Amino acid sequence: MAKVNTTDYCNEQVLIAGLIAGDDCAFCEIIKRFQHTMLIVARAITGDTFADDVVQDAWVAIYKNIAKFEQRSSLKTWVMTIVSNEAKARLRRESRKVSLDELDGEVPGSYLDGANFTSDGHRSSPTPSWRSESPEELLEEKQLQHCINKTLNILPPAQKAAFILRDIEQESFDDIGNILQVSAANVRVLVHRARLTLLQVIDRFQETGTC
Amino acid sequence: MLTDNRNVIKKHLLSCKDVAHLASDYLDKNAGNKLNWKIRLHLLMCSCCRRFMRHLKITQQIAPQLIKKSEHEMDAGFVLQHIKDRTNISQG
Ligand SMILES: [Zn+2]
Repeated sequence: MAKVNTTDYCNEQVLIAGLIAGDDCAFCEIIKRFQHTMLIVARAITGDTFADDVVQDAWVAIYKNIAKFEQRSSLKTWVMTIVSNEAKARLRRESRKVSLDELDGEVPGSYLDGANFTSDGHRSSPTPSWRSESPEELLEEKQLQHCINKTLNILPPAQKAAFILRDIEQESFDDIGNILQVSAANVRVLVHRARLTLLQVIDRFQETGTC
Repeated sequence: MLTDNRNVIKKHLLSCKDVAHLASDYLDKNAGNKLNWKIRLHLLMCSCCRRFMRHLKITQQIAPQLIKKSEHEMDAGFVLQHIKDRTNISQG
């Protein structure tokens, strides 16, 4: 395999041209870039059982159809839409419906439903103070990084996918809705719940220094 | 399962719980003018929610970076070979 020159691929046009030309390096680049998020999207739609298969089917579809990619969306959105379609097709084949409730199950101790508020909507206790409110300082905390990642992995699959597509991949709420097959309003709620859970992780870290 | 914001919009004054429900919409500038104004009014009066909003904003800022930092390596060549094998089988 030729030596990978990743710098060229920062330019999406160069990357797409490479993919259409059948360049292995270009494919390895998008596999590295998207595989992880594709799995998260697949899990959010089909649950764990079929997710690996769905992603493999999606890669085959991408490999075969890349020449037909018309660039009406970004490459990433196109790839995620293919995963979404493969996941939908898989659910139909298995004639099994997975409800959003199943995939967006409540996290125990969820911020809005927990003991944080009284019945009339007041706070039960003051918002905890943080020892540090400096993002730069907090980003250096290895233990916090560990706690955040640990919690991300136990979020309900739909919340995790919505959060990653929005706050990491910077997709629009509408595109995420199309990918996850829920309304944009529901995407906003999913993202918000994920952020609140991560906020509680930082609360706990600030108080105890652990997860 | 999901919260309907319409009941909140009708309210004259928001509770702390309402603000907690709407906080991401506020930070993402999705709340709309009227609701935005009500949230700001609440924040003006409530130091707990001001602190909460500040903390949520920091969370939104640092959590993605802490997650990105932990991205793992994978063997892309192996995945590609698998895709090619499957493409050949399905075409042949
Ligand atoms: Zn308040």
